[in-house]
Amino acid sequence: MSIQFKTINELSHMLKNKDISNKELIEETFSLIDTNTHLNAFVTLNKDASLHRAAELDKNPSSLALAGIPMAQKDLFCTKDLRTTCGSNMLSSFIPPYSATVIENLENAGCISVGKTNMDEFAMGSSNETSFYGNVQNPWGDKLVPGGSSGGSAAVVAAGIVPAASGTDTGGSIRQPASLCGISGLKPTYGRISRWGMIAFASSLDQAGPMARTAEDCAMLLNEMCSHDHKDTTSLDETTPDFTKDLNLPIKGLKIGLVKEFDLSKLDNEVVKVFEESKKHYESLGAKFIDISLPNISLSVPTYYVVAPAECSSNLSRFDGVKFGKRCDDPKDLEELYIKTRSEGFGDEVKRRILIGSYVLSAGFYDAYYKKAQQVRRLIKNDFDSAFKQVDVIMSPTTRGGAFEEGSKGDDPIQMYLEDLFTIPANLAGLPALSIPNGMVDNKPIGLQLIGNFLEESKLLQVAHNFQISTDWHKKTPNRDTQS
Amino acid sequence: MDKKTVSTIAYLSRLALNEENGEKITQDLENIIKFVDQLENANTQNIEPLASPLEKTAKTRYDEVTAKNRKETFLERSPKSNDDYFLVPRVVE
Amino acid sequence: MSWVTVIGLEIHVQLSTKSKLFSGGSTGFGAEPNTHVDLIDLGLPGVLPVANREAFYKAIRFGLATNAEINQTSTFDRKNYFYPDLPKGYQITQMALPIVGKGKIKIAVDGKEKIINITRAHLEEDAGKSIHDLFDGETGVDLNRAGTPLLEIVSEPEISDAKEAVAYFKAIRQIVTFLDICDGNMAQGSMRCDVNVSLKKSDDDKLGTRAEIKNINSFKFIEKAINYEIERQARILESGESVVQETRLYDSIKNETRSMRSKEEANDYRYFPCPDLLPVVISDDELNEIKNNLPELPDEKEKRFIEESNLDISEAKIIASSKTMANMFEEACKKTDDSKLVANWLVGDISALLNKDNIDLEESNLTSNNFAVLIERISDNTISGKIAKSVLEEVWESGGGVDEIIENKGLVQIQDESLLEEIALKIIENNPSQVDAYKSGKDKLFGFFVGQVMKETQGKANPQSVNEILRKLLS
Repeated sequence: MSIQFKTINELSHMLKNKDISNKELIEETFSLIDTNTHLNAFVTLNKDASLHRAAELDKNPSSLALAGIPMAQKDLFCTKDLRTTCGSNMLSSFIPPYSATVIENLENAGCISVGKTNMDEFAMGSSNETSFYGNVQNPWGDKLVPGGSSGGSAAVVAAGIVPAASGTDTGGSIRQPASLCGISGLKPTYGRISRWGMIAFASSLDQAGPMARTAEDCAMLLNEMCSHDHKDTTSLDETTPDFTKDLNLPIKGLKIGLVKEFDLSKLDNEVVKVFEESKKHYESLGAKFIDISLPNISLSVPTYYVVAPAECSSNLSRFDGVKFGKRCDDPKDLEELYIKTRSEGFGDEVKRRILIGSYVLSAGFYDAYYKKAQQVRRLIKNDFDSAFKQVDVIMSPTTRGGAFEEGSKGDDPIQMYLEDLFTIPANLAGLPALSIPNGMVDNKPIGLQLIGNFLEESKLLQVAHNFQISTDWHKKTPNRDTQS
Repeated sequence: MDKKTVSTIAYLSRLALNEENGEKITQDLENIIKFVDQLENANTQNIEPLASPLEKTAKTRYDEVTAKNRKETFLERSPKSNDDYFLVPRVVE
Repeated sequence: MSWVTVIGLEIHVQLSTKSKLFSGGSTGFGAEPNTHVDLIDLGLPGVLPVANREAFYKAIRFGLATNAEINQTSTFDRKNYFYPDLPKGYQITQMALPIVGKGKIKIAVDGKEKIINITRAHLEEDAGKSIHDLFDGETGVDLNRAGTPLLEIVSEPEISDAKEAVAYFKAIRQIVTFLDICDGNMAQGSMRCDVNVSLKKSDDDKLGTRAEIKNINSFKFIEKAINYEIERQARILESGESVVQETRLYDSIKNETRSMRSKEEANDYRYFPCPDLLPVVISDDELNEIKNNLPELPDEKEKRFIEESNLDISEAKIIASSKTMANMFEEACKKTDDSKLVANWLVGDISALLNKDNIDLEESNLTSNNFAVLIERISDNTISGKIAKSVLEEVWESGGGVDEIIENKGLVQIQDESLLEEIALKIIENNPSQVDAYKSGKDKLFGFFVGQVMKETQGKANPQSVNEILRKLLS
């Protein structure tokens, strides 16, 4: 029985019914990896340890929730004794001496980390074109980007190589690639998942999250990924609910908000058509749509491009060639050590963001940029708070369109930044949001975004699941259904 | 953005701007700053800056030593070190 | 031209917590390099800081002792710059909202008292150490110290000369040691000082341009550095030039300050709130608990010693001025009712030894325990006062226990009256002419007989007993 494109649930059943052994499952996974190297989705593989773990599970079967499930981990999570590069030359030989809490949580729940996935360098990008390890291919078409920064994770799930992958989302880096690759991905409420061991990009925006074939699988993963971690003081103290409990509750009477300011008329007709279809479908399930206003939402992208670079310019200062990571050859003095190491170790997008960050924090500019952006951020959060008094969830397209071609965003970084128009607001406000596939445009999948109120992942997943049990966009796969 | 500002920022960030990338990066920076200048339009009078989306206060820890000696582990991961120290080119104060 | 000197001090006090400000790394001094480094101290990718609550408690004690505002909600900021012993490339500090606000401290110079206002005291993490001279052409970095909690105490620019600066520094040191928040060990770098010096004309309202002399850790050097700097700036201003605002280092060998080689631009620290640390809130209950358990300060101790232990003002002042000495006094007083005896030793012999060696009591070989035993042995007549002096000297030179020394050197006082009488009789027998001389009026010869008995007993005879016995026998 082929394992490709199976969900976590399906594979769990196969393992329980002994339709396949743990060892066979992992062997087949690596087989799929081998036949899909053109995707360039992995940076480091973990074959021996995975086979070893599988053999253990065959000897001593486990009833853990994710027992034996192969999973790909974004190369932004520190994995003990397994190379972690963050998509950068700077960390090309970095072997962490510890594992991220979220990795430990997942492995303690039984999953097997088969490898580290390729990503935009230091999570900065929306197309996985900035990785030092080369571009990732979207399984839906040659030379198409998978989205970013969790491009590798999205690609391996979309290609059916693994049922699940971890991702991180700072401005949309789970949801946008999920949309462009036709899979489901969720960014939880800020603080749900510990950031201990997650290489920091923008500390007040970064969150880890699950990427899988269904909302239900995302819920199962989320159950294991979330924990209160005393090593991360920004991690929430809330008890983790069972996110799978309410999936099947009907959504009759649900109030769904549509953001006026998102002005969908500016989008491609085909994209709007897909969105309207989804709207109609939700109405048929009993949901009501209400127009809401988020007056400051148009400032989300500029706000993000002040706050995120500012935080990253500081977070990346630790990469200095002294304690870990790359060092330039034969520096003649300390200045050269720093400047040469960092100039050689970082790619252009990372450098741009560090420079912007230093600029907006520098004396004379701090008030006008950084402080201002943090104030606008509060305005945006307040807008959401008001909106959620009127509606239960907010809906929008995840992206402006389907996957674009490599290199097509040209030389202007701002064109790339605008890709995250719909996703960024949820990060600024710390709210949970997800993307599920809801249609095809030009034979490429696109996604539907749902944004929820603080701590309301269960509701989001319920709304998403209801859609998925009555449609089959999430079942489409690149090899068979590219014609829709 | 004048040259001096750009080179100051580059120095603060310990990044080199050279013949090849200097102009493009300066141009990119100008464009991005122009883009974020939109923020000027927002009315933020009396608005408290939001440093974190969490409306809560910090948990702290007890004063106890929990770290083990991991000197070897750390030094072996460093680009340059001897048995005891991380090494960098000599610093003159 | 008469210039007015304006000085402000920023004192960095290493708080005596067991672990670091943001990690569980040990703060112990003197360990092998890089053995007290936690993942967090190293700044590895993905690590996060968690604040040590005890550091806040210690900072608050300082605030209470200086009548300062306590900000029960305080926040952390990042100060960004590159240096090899700064692992993250930024220091976590408190810029916007420090734990302690405005306070005051009293200093005394040549008997005159003055109040110096403190602007603020905030928590921040210490950097590691860069060792420049051990390795050929390279600098070694030891991160043991990285992350140690510091309390940075900033004074208003109200200090007028080097003497006041030293008095202020000493006053701060006294407070932090008495509060048990810092061990005050200057040699180990537990307290370091940055001095800001500027000159202005007496009728000028505006302050002059200041130079900052960084990282001085001795009273002597503070005084010298300031005096050098005042002269240097006066020379510059007299010649019509302006003082450059810059950071300088004090060279104790050449006795001069010199400019640190750093570019102007490097001074933009780009402070912003640290997104990994949420505001820390100290509750009213916690604050009250700290208030109620505040260790006794020197003034209070002085008063108590005068009232309860009958010390006079000068004795009380000396003993109460040092936490170590005050502790020693209190411990020793448990072994005897004679508090004056204890005071005499501390103010007399021990103070003299401290002066001779130019060290602090903490640096000496005399422990509180040992001193208490010494007092006990004097009080129970095991040894005489005179013998005790030699025991003290032995302990002072080479450490060692008081009882050990007494036993090893056989210094136990001879109390046995019959034995002493035997010896005295022998002396009298052997010195007939002196006996005659004494009996015929040469009273001073009494000392000769005492001396002979002492010599015979190697100084161990109980002096009172000897006196009594000889008087009896020679009468």
